[in-house]
Amino acid sequence: MSESAPSSAEAVVRVDDLRVVFPTMDGEVRAVDGLSFELPAGGGLGIVGESGSGKSVTSLALMGLHRGSRARISGSIEVVGKDVVSASDKQLRRMRGNDIAMVFQDPMQSLHPQYTIGNQLVEALRVHRPQVSRAQARDRAVESLDRVGIPQARKRINSYPHEFSGGMRQRVLIAMGLMCDPKVLLADEPTTALDVTVQAQILDLLDELRRDLNMGLILVSHDLAVVAGSVDEVVVMRHGVAVERGDVRRVLSAPEHPYTQELLDAVPRVEVSRAQRRVRDRSDRAAKARAEQRRQPSGATAAGEGGEESFDAFAPARGPERGEVLLRVEEVSQSFRVRGGLWGRSTDFWAVKGVSFDLHQGETLGIVGESGSGKSTLSRMVMRLLEPTRGRVEFEGRDITHMSERALRPLRRDVQMVFQNPYSSLNPRLTVGDAIGTALRVQGEKDGRKVRRQVQELLERVGLEPNHYNRFPHAFSGGQRQRIAIARALILKPKLIICDEPVSALDVSTQDQVLRLLSELQDDFGLTYIFVAHDLAVVRQVSDRVAVMRKGEIVELGTSDGIYGDPRSEYTRQLLTAAPVLDPEEARRLRAERVRQRAADA
Amino acid sequence: MLTYILRRLGAGLLLLAVVTLVTFAIFYVVPRWAGRTTEQLATMYVGRAPTPEAIQATIERLGLDEPVFVQFGEFVRGIFFGAEYRFGRDTIECSAPCFGYSFQSYQEVFPEIVARLPVTASLALGAGVIWLVGGILVGVVSAVWKGSLFDRLAMAVALAGVSLPIFFTGLLALAFLVHAWGLFATPGYVPFTEDPLGWAEGLFLPWVTLAFLHAAMYARQTRAGMLETLGEDYIRTARAKGLSEGKVVLKHALRPTLTPIVTIFGLDLGLVLGGAVLTEQVFSLNGIGRYAVNAITQSDLPVILGVTLFGAFFIVVCNLIVDLVYPLIDPRVRIHG
Repeated sequence: MSESAPSSAEAVVRVDDLRVVFPTMDGEVRAVDGLSFELPAGGGLGIVGESGSGKSVTSLALMGLHRGSRARISGSIEVVGKDVVSASDKQLRRMRGNDIAMVFQDPMQSLHPQYTIGNQLVEALRVHRPQVSRAQARDRAVESLDRVGIPQARKRINSYPHEFSGGMRQRVLIAMGLMCDPKVLLADEPTTALDVTVQAQILDLLDELRRDLNMGLILVSHDLAVVAGSVDEVVVMRHGVAVERGDVRRVLSAPEHPYTQELLDAVPRVEVSRAQRRVRDRSDRAAKARAEQRRQPSGATAAGEGGEESFDAFAPARGPERGEVLLRVEEVSQSFRVRGGLWGRSTDFWAVKGVSFDLHQGETLGIVGESGSGKSTLSRMVMRLLEPTRGRVEFEGRDITHMSERALRPLRRDVQMVFQNPYSSLNPRLTVGDAIGTALRVQGEKDGRKVRRQVQELLERVGLEPNHYNRFPHAFSGGQRQRIAIARALILKPKLIICDEPVSALDVSTQDQVLRLLSELQDDFGLTYIFVAHDLAVVRQVSDRVAVMRKGEIVELGTSDGIYGDPRSEYTRQLLTAAPVLDPEEARRLRAERVRQRAADA
Repeated sequence: MLTYILRRLGAGLLLLAVVTLVTFAIFYVVPRWAGRTTEQLATMYVGRAPTPEAIQATIERLGLDEPVFVQFGEFVRGIFFGAEYRFGRDTIECSAPCFGYSFQSYQEVFPEIVARLPVTASLALGAGVIWLVGGILVGVVSAVWKGSLFDRLAMAVALAGVSLPIFFTGLLALAFLVHAWGLFATPGYVPFTEDPLGWAEGLFLPWVTLAFLHAAMYARQTRAGMLETLGEDYIRTARAKGLSEGKVVLKHALRPTLTPIVTIFGLDLGLVLGGAVLTEQVFSLNGIGRYAVNAITQSDLPVILGVTLFGAFFIVVCNLIVDLVYPLIDPRVRIHG
């Protein structure tokens, strides 16, 4: 179906001195500033950078999707020998999906909800090959769905997107991209919204397709570990500029630019233990404090004193001594009623089934699991946002399983939560000060000035400025918002904080900062955490003990080093081999192992 | 699916029963609270020269001296099984569905409504088609060329359409288009079966006037919905496939935009079918709306009651249809029994 394939030495994508400028109210924003790279046929290129680095702008520019917006593009983008910048709209449309196909970040939103996937796949082919009949196009669609591992493709082709899981939808999008045998597949954060094991499957699939179809792959991500095993060359972007570019092995093992090193340090590594991370964080903090003191030796009185004071102010009321049991969860289960079927019979779905654990004062318990494993339901039961269907929850020796909302109110002070999405968990119409201070007022504090002073001290404590008090959440970045959310949780001096995927919506470098903050606060205030996440590396580094959940049950519970060093259950092992690693050789070895495992399963 | 339909039908019937009860109470019970006697109520039935005997006869005939719930029971029974009214030696047969007979014209209510239905239905359906098609068309074009002269002009006109009442636009149209310039024939109703052209000609101005009000709202809705949909990720996917802009707009963006519009269309149409009061009045069309207005000015309780129930019936039916059609438009909506 393809025309004469270019020889492997020939570049299928050539970007030279690309500049993308957006005019805004505050002047021009240079989203991309002088970017150049080449992608040989069948090659793999990674573009890595934080949000705002210009990586997504670049990928949209490659597809010519800036047409019609106010972006100004200069430089040259050549895709399979055609210049995207100067092409007519018609030429551009002929190129999209045909020469270069794109896979987007959010598979849940990227498929049309009202057409069957078959319809959407057929459309992708027929727009470029009108001579192909509908029936032929359908056969081709089945073939393509089969290729990306959709089981029973011939049957599933008539399904709607909402009938697929996130990982399956991403496969469908990839299948759609393959319909016209493009020379280049452009994947913009294709796995960011997915679970670890699904992420590994998708990355493996992309790698396989690239090899089998000799298709160039451009993989855009904020995470170096995601691209490590899948590309040959990597471009590291920052503020629209490529700070480093080179062979992936070289860049990851011997980065030349300090920013690359910074990114590398920020990537949570599954091989780093809780103890190692603690030592590193504490020494970093001590070094920073020393540097601070040296800079302002005379100001030590003011800053030091204020700091000292706030430490006391936010230390939790003395509860049980360190090491005592704070929370005991016994055989809790939660069922939801699911309506369904032709005649509307409802069945019970058990989201959590007989989970037990103890949590000690000052400890961090990590809960790892994929979406649907019941980890969020479990944390909601501990919070008593949900009443357990069965079992018992004890907090400080008191049975809170079926306590009334009224009786729970004092407890609400002691258990706080930090949520996953800092963009939607803060009320956009409340100032930061109000968002944090409300809890104090609800608990009976009447003195407005006192509330304000406490909130401002706390803002400083979590690394923000006291004068942020009157700003609204939209003025803050994701990481800053998560700091606000943490401050909101801290204001009542809780004994237990439940962090539900607190960093999964953040860039790696921001992730690292938030994790540091959490660990610092724990050291200073003796906080107890339940840390819920799907990222194994993150969980290992912050947790003393780890519970691995699957389908509502704990499959393994033990010390974090024990579980990672010597996993007992097959599922934990699977999770560990799926976790992305930074070493390209190691990544390839793990991939080979996964492929073997899958072949053995089949 | 079947249970769902049955349940919705049951709920619709229940709703109609409640509407019946409430309207009955408003017209027959509330006046008594306000101090009206049985005799005064009966007087309205008797006509120009009420003699005490005639009033007494009417009270007996209609059972006005019975307890209220018995009267209500009789009324409901009439709807299902018909009723008979005795006038001395004569009896008036009121076959089911019997909503009683008019105080004023001594005609049964239901046949009167049915006789006027073609006028109202012609008006509602014709106007409905115009406002749906016109509103969506203008909305789509405005959204695609957002900020263009057309967009700004159309939205200004839409604003006017939403704010100007029918008795203003309608009278304006009559005064200029018909009487001053003679561009259109005088509006009136000719049955479609007799003269299709005359039917369309006579109803053209009422259609446009009624549609103008609704089309304005639909245009604004469509434009807003369209702009939102065009920002969705799956629209970017469609563009990335290499689809032409026309396909992107008409195939991918329009369908999700239409979903909420279908819902309001069902409601609006049901409302207008129960009587387009202002339009019928302005253009002197003898439809259900006009019948209702006349009944109200003459305190013709059985007619008011009948028209109210009739209107409620259409709204319930149109809603039911919309709910059943919804899964066809949006596959994510599944009907649970």
